[in-house]
Amino acid sequence: MRRSLIFVAAALSLAGCNTVQNAAGTPTTYNDPGALGPVKGVGIESQDVVGMTDQMIRDMLAEPRLANAQLAPNVIIDAEYFANESTSRINKNTITDRLRVGLNRAAQGRMNFVGRHYAGMVTSERKIKRAGIADKGSLPEALAQKGGDYRLGGRITSLDSWDPKSGMMSRFTQIVFEMVDLETGEIVWTGLYDFSKSGQDAVIYR
Amino acid sequence: MNKVRLVPLVLALAGCAQVQEPAPVCNMAAINSQRQLIALPGLAPGDPSPVIEMPLNSVSIVDPKIINKVYVRQVGARRTATGTVEVTAQVINCTDFPLNAEARTQFYDQMQAPGEPVSAWKRVSLPARTSNTYRESSMGSRNAAYYMVELRETR
Repeated sequence: MRRSLIFVAAALSLAGCNTVQNAAGTPTTYNDPGALGPVKGVGIESQDVVGMTDQMIRDMLAEPRLANAQLAPNVIIDAEYFANESTSRINKNTITDRLRVGLNRAAQGRMNFVGRHYAGMVTSERKIKRAGIADKGSLPEALAQKGGDYRLGGRITSLDSWDPKSGMMSRFTQIVFEMVDLETGEIVWTGLYDFSKSGQDAVIYR
Repeated sequence: MNKVRLVPLVLALAGCAQVQEPAPVCNMAAINSQRQLIALPGLAPGDPSPVIEMPLNSVSIVDPKIINKVYVRQVGARRTATGTVEVTAQVINCTDFPLNAEARTQFYDQMQAPGEPVSAWKRVSLPARTSNTYRESSMGSRNAAYYMVELRETR
């Protein structure tokens, strides 16, 4: 009697394995990029990128040589001279693209933005227009592409420490932004963003 | 003999009286009584207000976890050389523990409508019984006539 009961129970449980587990999975959630997310480590995260770019935009717009010049200066903001020397893995364009876009939208004519990273695209279009392969377009011809008055430079550096006993990791990250006069090399504006984080969570940044 | 026992007791009590609480000492009851919320306009003229909130040009502590832990000593604004507005707010940590707060600012135009995107949250580290200053600048000059700073706790 007992054997047959065990057999029935085993059969039922095996049958259970073959049925559809008709339940919702863990849903993907949207997070506020400006706030701490559910996965957090000691590296540069979305809230840092949002915070630092917002701070730099507002700071640059308070600098008279950039935002209150008689002739609006031509500025180049890209990652070409923005170096990552830190232990954090990050695509530098995430920072410089957000900075350029935010500043361009906020500047409202106080600065002109030169897309030096699009120089190749512009050159090839100018060539085919002048060769007659494409027509001249509707805008008047320019003698040359715009030259930059100021260009963004900067550096990300970090200082790491790790406690092998507790597994606690600490990282100080410093990000320097500088606008350089492209004729004289003078640094006309500087901004600094830094933070220090510590934690034990094993987070991998990609 | 009893007198001999009494002397150290008196001395000990006198020693206790000299121990002082380090400044700042925050009187939260007085601080809370200074907080005056104002009524926002109703949906139509004559309608009752659906919301009361902090007046513009002030700091609103939006987090109940720190509302009785910090005191906003000063809040003010000035025009920068480019015409943008820089807001400063000095925040005091009234507790004996370090506290991490963050603040953001919404700038409003002359019509008291939001004049530009709200700023990103900016961290303000407050060691025990110390103050720190939060600063934020507007992006524009003409569209920044009023401001509202929001303050909350962070990690």
